[in-house]
Amino acid sequence: MASGDLLGMISPGGQPVIRLPVLPAPDALAGVGPGAAPAQVHGTTVIAVKYRGGVINVGDRRATANFAVMYDRAEKVLAIDDFTLLAISGSYARALEVVRYLRHSFRYFERSQLQPMSLDGKLSELARVVAAGVPAMMQGIGGFIPLLSTYDRQADEGRIFFYDGLGARFESTEFAAAGSGSIQIRGVFDYIVKARGPFHEMERDEALTQALLLLDIAADLDAATGGWAKVLPLAKTIGEEGIADVPDDELRHIVSAIDNKEALR
Amino acid sequence: MVYSPFDFNEAVAQRREFAEEGLREGSPVVGVSHDAGILLLTVRKSQRKVFEIYDRLVFSAIGNQSDVEQIRIGAIDVAHREGFERSPDDVTAQRLVGFSLSPPLKRLFGDQFSAPAVVRAVFGEMGRTPHDDVFYVLNYDGDFVQTTRFAAVAGSQAAEDRMLAELEGLGPDSTLNGALTRALRAWAAGAYASRGRRSEEEPEEGSGEDAFERQERIDAFLREQLGRAHVEVGVLERSVPRESKFRLLGDSDLQEVLRGLRD
Repeated sequence: MASGDLLGMISPGGQPVIRLPVLPAPDALAGVGPGAAPAQVHGTTVIAVKYRGGVINVGDRRATANFAVMYDRAEKVLAIDDFTLLAISGSYARALEVVRYLRHSFRYFERSQLQPMSLDGKLSELARVVAAGVPAMMQGIGGFIPLLSTYDRQADEGRIFFYDGLGARFESTEFAAAGSGSIQIRGVFDYIVKARGPFHEMERDEALTQALLLLDIAADLDAATGGWAKVLPLAKTIGEEGIADVPDDELRHIVSAIDNKEALR
Repeated sequence: MVYSPFDFNEAVAQRREFAEEGLREGSPVVGVSHDAGILLLTVRKSQRKVFEIYDRLVFSAIGNQSDVEQIRIGAIDVAHREGFERSPDDVTAQRLVGFSLSPPLKRLFGDQFSAPAVVRAVFGEMGRTPHDDVFYVLNYDGDFVQTTRFAAVAGSQAAEDRMLAELEGLGPDSTLNGALTRALRAWAAGAYASRGRRSEEEPEEGSGEDAFERQERIDAFLREQLGRAHVEVGVLERSVPRESKFRLLGDSDLQEVLRGLRD
């Protein structure tokens, strides 16, 4: 440190301010607790669909570890900043660390550089985080797949991005889903687009109804996806004005309309 | 090099003079806590001065641009490192100023082989209620003062005293617009006192000019400044659903207050 280097004295350089969360080596986890294998929490369905004013994200609330339901109020749709939502699937522990990391990383950039990180910059950062989890995933722990939804204020439209397990990113024109229940409902998305028209032309309530219906089907077909008999699912929208929660009473209304088979007429 | 007691005092006085000379021209900054959050206000002609440090921390400073920037970046680094390693709840102005910023400033001020930092900074921390809001004013020599309700930073002690007198009595239940008006008045009082007297007609301090005349002069000065400089206000908002609580107020937010002061 040079004499008189104020910044060096306040904040010793060399180490990054925020570090990518690294999982402990698999060996360190082996044999913890009564079982031989570490219990990992995973399995879910999260869905992102467009609507006229932006993007809707819905997710069930169940967190599982193997065949046990660990938690029935997990939040899997999380705001990273005012215009970015992350819907997470896979290892819950890793996903929450990643969300914390991204929140700090994006805001650190914006606060220190005095301009928001570009969308492309954010997507690359997320790709790097997904790729960093690959070695652990190969060992059978900590895999996680995100969906990123954002409102692009330059293009004035909602956008949805999804990733594969190695960090490749893809942009979707209409919808995306991730988690163990997403495979079973893959064809239903296409059915809806063919039967009712594209999601991005739907009003919010219609797109929300379709997304919740998809979640209901996923819960029927996938043991790790929770239904809404006990706890309401989570739904957030992101539009021109930023992120908003869908209030519980609105959700309850749509959910009961689906249950009574009134919603789809 | 070893100082004799006399040399030491002399050296410290010189360094103080150097720093204060650099601060003298700075446009004052006012911090006010109000019911909807806290604000930092200044009036400026050139670059931005009010910055977000962390979720509930705002910052502004006068002084050498490079020194201000180093304090700002250093504070952001420390806050984010701590907020990520531990929790955002553990990032407080008290810890940041007292443990991370004050000691290096003190060290730099005492380091005879480098120039002292020319900076006088104010940090505002928004609490859950107006009663929990705090301000810290940090000086170039590492000294700092904690206040509640309001804070002021200016190029001279006299100017700061004027500003604090102007803000006296401001309670935690004031509205945003009420706080803005008071803050702008306080800014004008500070800027007026710290600027050199420009004409012979202006009476010297304490020369019998009554309070009313002085206030007239300050009001005229404020109107004149509002016409040619930019009012910059950074706010932290207590109860917005947004992820980011910080916002720079735009022209439409200030319109009403400025109209009231111009007429």
